[in-house]
Amino acid sequence: MWPYLFVLPAVVAMGFGFVFPLVSVVRNSLYAGTFYQIQYVGLGNFRALVDDNVFVHSLTNNLRLLLTVPVMTVLALLIAVVLHDGVRAWRVHRSAVFLPYILPAAGIGLAFGALLQFNGALNQALRVLHLGFLAQDWLGSPRLAIWSVGGVVVWQQLGFGVVVFLAALLSLPNEVVEAARVDGASWWQIQTQVQIPQLRSTIEFFVVTEAITVLSWVFTYVYVVTGGGPANSSSVMEFYIWRNGFAQGSVGLANAAAVVVLVLAAVLIVVYLRLRRAPENPGGVL
Amino acid sequence: MWRQVLLIAVTIAALAPLSFMLLTSLKTPQDYAEHPLGLPSSPTLSNYVSALTEVPTLRWAVNSLAVTVVAVLVSSTIAALAAYAVAFGRFRGRSIVLSSAIGFIMVPPVVLLLPMFVVMVNLHLVNRLWSVMLFYSCLLVPFAMFFLVNFFQSVPRELIEASVMDGAGPLRTLRSVVLPLSRPALVTIAVVNAVWAWNELLVALVFLQDESQRTLMAGLTLLQGRYVSNQPLVLSVAVLSIVPVAVFYLFTQRSFVRGLTAGMGK
Amino acid sequence: MFGQGSRRTAGIAIAAAVAVAAAGCTASSPSGGGGASGGAGNAEKANLTYWYWGESDAPGANNWMKARIADYQKLHPGVKIKLVPQSTDTLIGAFTTAAQTKSGPDIATQWATIPVLSQAWSGAVAPVSDYVPENQRSQWIGTQENTDKGKLYAVPLYVIGVPLAYNKALFAKANITDPPRTFDDLLGDCRKLKAAGVTPIGMGNKDGYFGAWFFSNFGKQNLDSTEELKKAIIGKADITDPKYTGFYEPMHQLKSNGCLNDDIASLTLDQGMAKFGSGQAAMAWGTDGIVNGWAQKLGADKVGITRTPKWGTGKLADVYNTTQSSSAFITSWSQNKKAAAQFLLFLHEPKNLKSWYEATGIFPADKQFQPSSIKDDLGRQMWDLDSSDGAVWLENYLPPSVDGDGNLAAGQVITSGGSVAEAVDTFRKAVEKWRSQNPVEVKNYTAWAAQ
Repeated sequence: MWPYLFVLPAVVAMGFGFVFPLVSVVRNSLYAGTFYQIQYVGLGNFRALVDDNVFVHSLTNNLRLLLTVPVMTVLALLIAVVLHDGVRAWRVHRSAVFLPYILPAAGIGLAFGALLQFNGALNQALRVLHLGFLAQDWLGSPRLAIWSVGGVVVWQQLGFGVVVFLAALLSLPNEVVEAARVDGASWWQIQTQVQIPQLRSTIEFFVVTEAITVLSWVFTYVYVVTGGGPANSSSVMEFYIWRNGFAQGSVGLANAAAVVVLVLAAVLIVVYLRLRRAPENPGGVL
Repeated sequence: MWRQVLLIAVTIAALAPLSFMLLTSLKTPQDYAEHPLGLPSSPTLSNYVSALTEVPTLRWAVNSLAVTVVAVLVSSTIAALAAYAVAFGRFRGRSIVLSSAIGFIMVPPVVLLLPMFVVMVNLHLVNRLWSVMLFYSCLLVPFAMFFLVNFFQSVPRELIEASVMDGAGPLRTLRSVVLPLSRPALVTIAVVNAVWAWNELLVALVFLQDESQRTLMAGLTLLQGRYVSNQPLVLSVAVLSIVPVAVFYLFTQRSFVRGLTAGMGK
Repeated sequence: MFGQGSRRTAGIAIAAAVAVAAAGCTASSPSGGGGASGGAGNAEKANLTYWYWGESDAPGANNWMKARIADYQKLHPGVKIKLVPQSTDTLIGAFTTAAQTKSGPDIATQWATIPVLSQAWSGAVAPVSDYVPENQRSQWIGTQENTDKGKLYAVPLYVIGVPLAYNKALFAKANITDPPRTFDDLLGDCRKLKAAGVTPIGMGNKDGYFGAWFFSNFGKQNLDSTEELKKAIIGKADITDPKYTGFYEPMHQLKSNGCLNDDIASLTLDQGMAKFGSGQAAMAWGTDGIVNGWAQKLGADKVGITRTPKWGTGKLADVYNTTQSSSAFITSWSQNKKAAAQFLLFLHEPKNLKSWYEATGIFPADKQFQPSSIKDDLGRQMWDLDSSDGAVWLENYLPPSVDGDGNLAAGQVITSGGSVAEAVDTFRKAVEKWRSQNPVEVKNYTAWAAQ
């Protein structure tokens, strides 16, 4: 009897906070209008989404951001193995690299919004270093804006990867590495053939987690750094939903877009859950 | 060695934007317009003074703190009770509850936002901190629950059985046996969830539009529009918004790392 | 910061005081002119929230409003008013979100005509004509901008023009004697300024407002009347016709000829305009209030104003762009509609009109304002321009989502280096999306356009 009582608050919380909205969003996506005047349109909203080039562009932007995931992963792995080697003051470096991850994206987004301006700190630095040809209109160019957002995402998420991979490395048994070293393997060979393969499941987790992140947890970056601009060129699906649903009152479109995000996220979440249940999980993961 | 160089480069890349923020916040708008890069020519704290007197920074910070504390306390309590039941109890739907929790951890709030907004409007909670406290409390439960279930499962069964043998009910056992042993786990979920709540923007932005009700993050975005020509002032408020988290982090690094390496970053 | 500075304020104050004293005998009595907020023993109690916007048009507005609120609260001890300044880029979005909750401010601000009327059509606005009788509104200027089906929805507070300001010293440096009259003149002046090492035009378009202003200043120049634009919006004419969207061509020419500052795409409007104020650009568009601020900063002898250069061939190419810009209205959910109306009436009392002009250099939207109180040359030029006939601010005629997704976005396409065709296409798509996603608003717009 008691387990039911103990679990009840959580069930109510998750039911209210997750199940009810998820069901509502799917149901509401079949209606168009404002919050107060709706009419049934079936799949009409989804058709409108496909016709709306801003939505399509937002979706492809999320997909573009997926390209930052391999970048993050490789960089994080590299830094983690180097830290693991026990370089001097590695703890300081680890703390420094991890710090961005826990800082509020809204706060640091404002900093990036300032320093990425065409005549802002970054470009000035490049010009001072005689690298002026690299200076771009990071925020004002419709082609570059989304990548600038991606850059900020990588800057923040990198620390998470480093910490996760480092923890995984620390839990690996030393003997295998020692044996390889005794065998005369080079540092590079040890990393790529011995250590990293053992991190496979951690890497998979990280990749899936970050994929979900760039697909559906990047609103703050876009809102603060570029405002979706210029001309909606850096809009992502979450931004589209917020803008259409709240700032413009086109609730039907917003709900339909939310369903699209849900489906994509759900696919990844299922992959994520499957990975969780994998039997071998080295590296402090479950 | 190249390893040192790499680490130093990475550390610089990680800290440079933060130092830019700090340095800019010490410049006058004139100084910043002329020298966006580099040290302030005559460092001043006037931006911080304005940040605390002209901008409702303190009000917003108090709102953020209130929301964070309430959401973390409520969600942790709910999660602890449920985790205990999942870890030590037998009941129908046990695995569904656990799997759902794990699945919900990664559900993006944007998907839940529209219906939740309507609910809050109908409950007349929009523009009141309660709306955010309520929603955050629900959102934080899955991670807390999952993490605690993990941890509880590592508590030696004998201790539980001994307590039951002594005639203690599940609540007593939870309170006097399991929780004291779970201190590191509780600290971890509190730390991870607190940082999440403090940093959150989208929900706060939508539910709290009244200026005085905003959280610090939502308030920050307001400044972007209002003080466009005064980056130093805007960044000084931004600095104030990240300092609590940075300080918190320095004291709780270990807990944080533990929380994340359970594979559950947010 | 008061936009005028103490010396100028003192001078104007004295002049205005004399003018008002002299005119006081002939001005309409307070109760007729709009000061009907008085009345002995006001025991009303009300808590009002006022979402206010105006500082961007009129530097000094926020402080002025705060002072008026303080005055009003002294006269009406039971009334408390909370002022919440709004930011430009979320002005529409924030109110639309609040309107969805049917809760929020008692008094709100939106830009005139469609931004106000679209909120009225969705039921968020209580027409001010229901709470203020005609004889108390008769002195207000520009009420036609917010009237629909015989009801007045919002209160005009001020009128502005958006002249093209030019720096006489920098012009002299480039050997230019006269401000540009036509678009070809403008391009020519750009070339000369660039040769002299001066940034010709300093504006910002990260938030899309340079493009929006360009639409209002150039986009009307091929039209004979606003009716033509309305037809294109509701689909009875092709929006991609050069008549409606041909103005992206001159915008593109400005960009490709290097007439605009190189960082226009990453600076907001305020940030970009500041270049003129700091002497780094030779020309910029600005509201009357902002130009006054520039004149103060650079010296009144260095700042000149002129109409937007003529480019198009329609009748509207010769009219100016005066508008009340932002308008104040009472929300439909307010529990204190009468009290809100009383406060708005208070703002139209002659002494408040006077203090507004002194604080911001912008003309109040009220016939009781005495033009003889304008003592400086620049002010008189602005007055002449602003009171010319037939003035139109074209952006006010766009539905908000067309303004955002079309007007603002399409301009950003150009300033980020895109082509005219892309910009026109962006505008077209925004109009089509509006028509398909907002059937109710389309119906209301069409009915309004037919009046």
